[in-house]
Amino acid sequence: MTVTRRIFVAGLGMTAVLPMVQAASAQGKGLIAIITPSHDNPFFKAEAVGAEARAQELGYETLILVHDDDPNKQSEMFDTAIARGAAAIICDNAGADATVAPVQRALDAGIPSFLIDREIKESGIAISQIVSNNYQGAQLGAEEFVFEMEEAGPYVELLGREADTNAGIRSSGYHDIIDQYPDLEMVAQQSANWSQTEAYEKMETILQAQPDIKGVICGNDTMAMGAWAALEAAGRTDVIVVGFDGSNDVRDSILNGGIKATVLQPAYRQAQLAVEQADQYLETGSTGLEEKQLMDCVLINADNAELLETFALQGA
Amino acid sequence: MRAASMTAALLCAALPLAACKIVPNPDPEEVAAANMSDEDRMAAWVDENWDARVLPAAEDNRTTWPAFSAALEEGLQPAGEAEGLRPSDNGPWFFFMQGEGQVVEANLDSRARRMELDMDGDGSADIALQLGPVVRGTALRDALPFVSFTDFRDQIEFAKLGRALNDRATANLPELSGDLTGSTVAFTGVFGLNSSAETPMAVPTSLEVRP
Repeated sequence: MTVTRRIFVAGLGMTAVLPMVQAASAQGKGLIAIITPSHDNPFFKAEAVGAEARAQELGYETLILVHDDDPNKQSEMFDTAIARGAAAIICDNAGADATVAPVQRALDAGIPSFLIDREIKESGIAISQIVSNNYQGAQLGAEEFVFEMEEAGPYVELLGREADTNAGIRSSGYHDIIDQYPDLEMVAQQSANWSQTEAYEKMETILQAQPDIKGVICGNDTMAMGAWAALEAAGRTDVIVVGFDGSNDVRDSILNGGIKATVLQPAYRQAQLAVEQADQYLETGSTGLEEKQLMDCVLINADNAELLETFALQGA
Repeated sequence: MRAASMTAALLCAALPLAACKIVPNPDPEEVAAANMSDEDRMAAWVDENWDARVLPAAEDNRTTWPAFSAALEEGLQPAGEAEGLRPSDNGPWFFFMQGEGQVVEANLDSRARRMELDMDGDGSADIALQLGPVVRGTALRDALPFVSFTDFRDQIEFAKLGRALNDRATANLPELSGDLTGSTVAFTGVFGLNSSAETPMAVPTSLEVRP
């Protein structure tokens, strides 16, 4: 009897201790929350995958969240990260203004934020803001567009989501080049909110009103894919399309003689860099770098498209 | 009784004061800056800083073609450390070049006018000068050690600064016309390099065609 009881008690003790041991070993260096827009766009997926891979290599647990460009949803996700006691937050945010408050809230809770791809309207609350040099990239895309257009003809611009600084900066970079050529005439400029389906619909409508267009310059690759699909459906594969991002979809289109060019943002590397800076910050209390950092973009056309894979240039 | 009513009266008198906050008149310069467009504000920044800080920074960091090309033999990193500067850790190395060379080719008809110079007398082009009005890139902005992206509102404002600096640089250039091939050109200019294999494409801050 006594033996049985002793074993029983010991068993109780074991079951009580076991979960604690597991929790301790899984904790490692803590949790990194990775918050991005929808993975439907491969660009954001590459960010999440890149950040997750690097975080796990460095010994962190990860929590992948998707805000679908909805600031309210994003705000809840910051609260989730805070409630889970995350060590750091990596975020491609849902709006330059709307993201200021959640980043501040995380900071107040002692959680540093590292922003990628899109910046916010304030400095001093995020630890890092690593963004692509969208202006430089847009100038590269515009120069290629001007070259393909032979410096003349009517064209359309598809803009990204208005709340996103990247939509404005790319448009500004495009026009700083294109507007210097008086024979290039913009006949329509509309937002398709970064969306492929919206770009398809907008392009269909624009084609009816402006059947003689010669080119379409797009704020990102998903819109370029949507526009190209509409042009193909209308039998207008002569129209010059240029995108921005450097997705595998557009790479394949370029290699098949469809879309003419895009601009690679090093999304995968950017996400990894953010995790490395988070790790450095958590270990030493400083990244040793300026908060706001620009990463240069690279023009992708038929000459180098085959080197492109998942938002990185192979051998570069 | 009397003391109590006095206290009450004092409290009543003090209450509205407690709700008051003394706000200084806004700095008229700040108000004016806030009402300007990004272009105007950045153009004003350039006006204020061009002679005071931009040109001195170019002077302090200047290198010459023989020093630069000799250092580059060792690779971009050592060349950058010896002759250039790199304000951003993720960015290219920048060089403020002062030198003179022979014009190998000049295109003054384009919106993006440029000339290519032979710097070492071998007859081949070693450096290209962007003469505007279209200037590619933001080398002049990014090379300045006292300019930090963090100090600007966002990429849009920062891009306008790049444009304003390029515009000022090309506006300062002399009138150029005719066939310049074979002429000697003295210049100061800045360019960024990501690899030692690239041909430098500089934004000139001064230029003179020697007779």
